[in-house]
Amino acid sequence: MDDDISDQRLTTSNQQPKMNTTNLRKFFSPGVLLALAMAAFPFVLSALTGQPLNTGDPKFWMGMLAQVFILAVYAMSYDLLMGYTGILSFGHALFFGTGAYVAGILLKHAKWDLLPVILAVIGVTLLQSLLVGMLSLRVKGVYFAMVTMAFSQMFFILAEASDFREYTGAEDGLQSIPVPAWLSPTNERLTFYFVTLAFCIGMYLLAKRVVNSPTGKVLLAIRENEPRAQVIGYNTFIYKLIGMSLSGVMAGLAGMMNALWNLNANTSMLSVSTTINALLMTIIGGVGTLSGAILGAGFLQLLGYWLNVTFGPRWPLLFGIIYILIVLFLPYGFIGTWRANKSKILARWNAARGKA
Amino acid sequence: MKQLKNAQPALITGAVVILFLLALFGRFEPKVAVSVLLSGLTLGALYFMMSAGLSLIFGLMDVLNFAHGFLFMLGAYVGLALFNAPFLAGLDSNLRFVLALVAGGAGMAVLGAIMEWSLIRPLYSRPIYQVLLTLGLTFVGGEAIKAIWGTAGFFMPIPAFFNGNGPNCPSPDFFSFFKDNCSSILILGRAFPSYRLFVIALGLAMFFAVILLLRKTRLGIIIRAGVQDSEMVQALGINVRRVFTLVFVIGAGLAGIGGVAAAPFIGVNLGIGQEFLLQAFISIVIGGMGSFSGAAIGALLVGLARAFGDQLVLSGIQLPFMTEMIKLSPSIARASTVIIMAIVLLIRPAGLLGKKE
Repeated sequence: MDDDISDQRLTTSNQQPKMNTTNLRKFFSPGVLLALAMAAFPFVLSALTGQPLNTGDPKFWMGMLAQVFILAVYAMSYDLLMGYTGILSFGHALFFGTGAYVAGILLKHAKWDLLPVILAVIGVTLLQSLLVGMLSLRVKGVYFAMVTMAFSQMFFILAEASDFREYTGAEDGLQSIPVPAWLSPTNERLTFYFVTLAFCIGMYLLAKRVVNSPTGKVLLAIRENEPRAQVIGYNTFIYKLIGMSLSGVMAGLAGMMNALWNLNANTSMLSVSTTINALLMTIIGGVGTLSGAILGAGFLQLLGYWLNVTFGPRWPLLFGIIYILIVLFLPYGFIGTWRANKSKILARWNAARGKA
Repeated sequence: MKQLKNAQPALITGAVVILFLLALFGRFEPKVAVSVLLSGLTLGALYFMMSAGLSLIFGLMDVLNFAHGFLFMLGAYVGLALFNAPFLAGLDSNLRFVLALVAGGAGMAVLGAIMEWSLIRPLYSRPIYQVLLTLGLTFVGGEAIKAIWGTAGFFMPIPAFFNGNGPNCPSPDFFSFFKDNCSSILILGRAFPSYRLFVIALGLAMFFAVILLLRKTRLGIIIRAGVQDSEMVQALGINVRRVFTLVFVIGAGLAGIGGVAAAPFIGVNLGIGQEFLLQAFISIVIGGMGSFSGAAIGALLVGLARAFGDQLVLSGIQLPFMTEMIKLSPSIARASTVIIMAIVLLIRPAGLLGKKE
């Protein structure tokens, strides 16, 4: 599933006959099917429950999925860094939170329109990730993780500081961000749902295009063996910086969408727990697979919801314990473990079926 | 020439300290400057108790313990709980404080041993996952503390030995302090809290204790050799894994003691773990990863910078082009230490005493 774009390009450029059926089968890959299912989901649920689209269960579950789509983009952005470039950042919340705050401040205080706000978010997070990247990429490994965490803590402290209360709302966060009426997540839930869905699909295609591009291959080479990539003649610093700024901008956009959904931007979006979220989603799904990041986001959101309903306000504790258990026992995540043990699991499954 | 190169870190440190002193005494009158200096030493002592453990653990076992801030915070909470424990209410506050220090240190040391043995040891073959795990522990630990003690912060009273309020207070000199136990001592005519002087002394004591351990004992030799090349040490027939655990225990214990010592003047709340972890990280970046003296120097510099920054933002900043003084909150000073880290990364990514990659 991860290679279907490159495969498609290959087949079209070869211009071979009788590829039509394969092309058709390629077109209905699990990813496309999932996207279609997601597009149909609100209508199906509305038909099943008999409730109109913008009320009750359909509204609630559309909101749930819209959050999944936003988180999925955030997780993919992290996976570009950790899974594809092989650099471990503990400061990813920095870009997510910055996106949220920039969007919030410009919408609320500067009264900008949505389009310039989006451009501003892209510009600011690009600049920020370049700056942080240029400084922190001078060191490697866990050292890099430590330095990125320090940078993100700095912005966390600044967001909490009482000096900028006028703009950031200090520890209360930036409340009641005005969202354009046509995109209001409360009144126009269906529109919001489709916008986030399109956002998620668009970012997925973009990330995939990057991963399969020559630049993406260099990033993979850096992950596998950085000195070797250097010896071949690539300036790995520049490539890592590209990876980092791309990932930063994606995370910033996800943060902006999150601010639009919540109608606020708060300090927790910049905190360590937001970085842990990114890690968890990436690891659960499987490091180095974009589809895994999406899966991880869905799992995390539903798990968080279920834990919250079942255990009340103490759920983050259980959440953290689940994180530790996954790190200990499921290091390659769902997709990774599946890929590594596909044949074994299938054989066991077939044997079990044969017996029954 | 080679000697000059070896002395480079010392020269840089010296230059930085002299520049700092010039800035300090140029900006403030001497008695203010001295008290800023002492505040800086106090913070430096606390940062040292964090950064020393972090740096030793990293140097020996290549594990960056993100849960170190949690150990510091839990040390403070445990110390406070013991200090206020009803079954100890009969004892006087000095004794209870000493007990709290010991319990905080020992408790965290035991917890560190359990952590290393149960969670970190199985993951030595997957180093990245060790780091992910310690980050998770920070999160779980913070939530657990929230569940037990709630989200509100606490204040720990200063023990009676440093909290006298008699007619002779504040004490004019150290000798009369030992007689009256005043809460503050006059230094150049300005009162300085005596408890903070105790923290400085505690930090110094810990520094020399660890130096003694590293230089004069067999364990210290093994640790220093392990930092150089732990596989070689193992090849010589020494159980390095046991030494790993011991170092983890020492680091965790230091963090716990630091937490209890910090409690009476910083307060006990959910933010202190992250706060001290951040400053300890910056200390390590400055001093250089895996170097014990580097960690100490880094902690000292960060402590001084913090105290100077606090004083600066409180007294107001006026740059030449500004018409009015701007007053800022201490958060700005807290955040701006990260800028020091950025500068060090730009100029000397390996830190003052770090190994060059």
